[in-house]
Amino acid sequence: MLKSIKEWIAVFMIIGVIMLIGNWIGYDVLPWTALPGIAILIGISLTGLIIHRLLPFQLPSIAYIGIIGLILTIPGMPGSAQIAAYTTEVNLLAIATPILAYAGVSIGRSWFDFVQLGWKTIVIGMLVLFGTFLGSAVIAEIILRFQGII
Amino acid sequence: MSEKALALWKDWRLHVIVLGIVAITESIGIFKIPLGPGSILLLPMLYAVVIGLALYFTPLINDKQSINAEPLVFLSVSILIAKFGVQAGPALPQIIEAGPALLLQEFGNLGTIFLALPLAVFLGMKRESIGMTHSIGREANLALITDKYGLSSPEGRGVMAMYIFGTVFGSIFIGMISGFLATVTPLHPISFAMATGVGSGSMAAASLGPLIAAFPEMSETLTAFSGVSNLISSVTGLYMSIFVGLPLTVKMYEILSKNKEKKAMKGSVEYVKKH
Repeated sequence: MLKSIKEWIAVFMIIGVIMLIGNWIGYDVLPWTALPGIAILIGISLTGLIIHRLLPFQLPSIAYIGIIGLILTIPGMPGSAQIAAYTTEVNLLAIATPILAYAGVSIGRSWFDFVQLGWKTIVIGMLVLFGTFLGSAVIAEIILRFQGII
Repeated sequence: MSEKALALWKDWRLHVIVLGIVAITESIGIFKIPLGPGSILLLPMLYAVVIGLALYFTPLINDKQSINAEPLVFLSVSILIAKFGVQAGPALPQIIEAGPALLLQEFGNLGTIFLALPLAVFLGMKRESIGMTHSIGREANLALITDKYGLSSPEGRGVMAMYIFGTVFGSIFIGMISGFLATVTPLHPISFAMATGVGSGSMAAASLGPLIAAFPEMSETLTAFSGVSNLISSVTGLYMSIFVGLPLTVKMYEILSKNKEKKAMKGSVEYVKKH
């Protein structure tokens, strides 16, 4: 457990630096301006991972991470406005780019399996993604309109 | 995650390469390709996944980096999820108000069954089509089908094919259609933000990115809704597949394949009559 925590912290520090640099190049936020925000996000992730290890429930660790972030920033919670303000400095797109860079390197290994799939699978696969994505959006739209929210 | 995981942070070659990819792609910035009434947004993250993939075929990256990259995707996604969380807190009143839509849009996952399953059967797929189209085919679904049918069954082969497809092409494809659909259809960006929770973490990032780039004035709201949708999917997604998605796919498959057989029968009977 302790080994894992050390490992997580080391990895998060590396990823954090990469995100700060991307945030600087792409979105003109100076690294020291975004530093408190990224530190908070890392703290939340770390706490979520640790809680996931400690609790016996069958919930994915990202559920804990999301819930912790949400609770910390509910209006009225002590420090919530500060946390929200700091983390706003970390652009979402700057977080996403390194994720997909690691993902790109990682999927290289699946490439040979991918090219063997055949055109039928590729067409069906695109329709699966398309249908799922559009299906969710359409249902959300219907209900939001029905409620008069949008 | 003990011995093997300990080497993760030490893989300097991998981290330096990722930093290089980030620096290059972020300097390139966003490109907008007009397409009919809408547009496709090309974001740095999209170049990043393509460059990362391409580097695998150069001596810069070998299998060690590729293997190490996988848990790093998970750990960096956890930072994205934390970001989702802190954006969701301040928007909590709005989220509660939109609660019914957030919960019910999970049923949108069934869109694949009505769109992709008929096509799969039409193209001549047998029971593979059940594995392929019952869900978006991520880790949890792979586990479910393997558990129920075994990985070497037709259903298992189907879900595995979809898993590989989604792994390699999922974030690229969804990243391109998300911005396009949001600009070309009359649906509200918030509805699409709720739909970004359908797949994996990298798919969520890839599909939310173009929405934010296309509607920057709504970026905080969109992120909040996307985050909560992801949260709900991560908790309910598997159960949705177990209790609704998979049984419905199996039923639909039986109906569709019977119809197809009947048509084929009818066709051959007519053929016999004619000749």
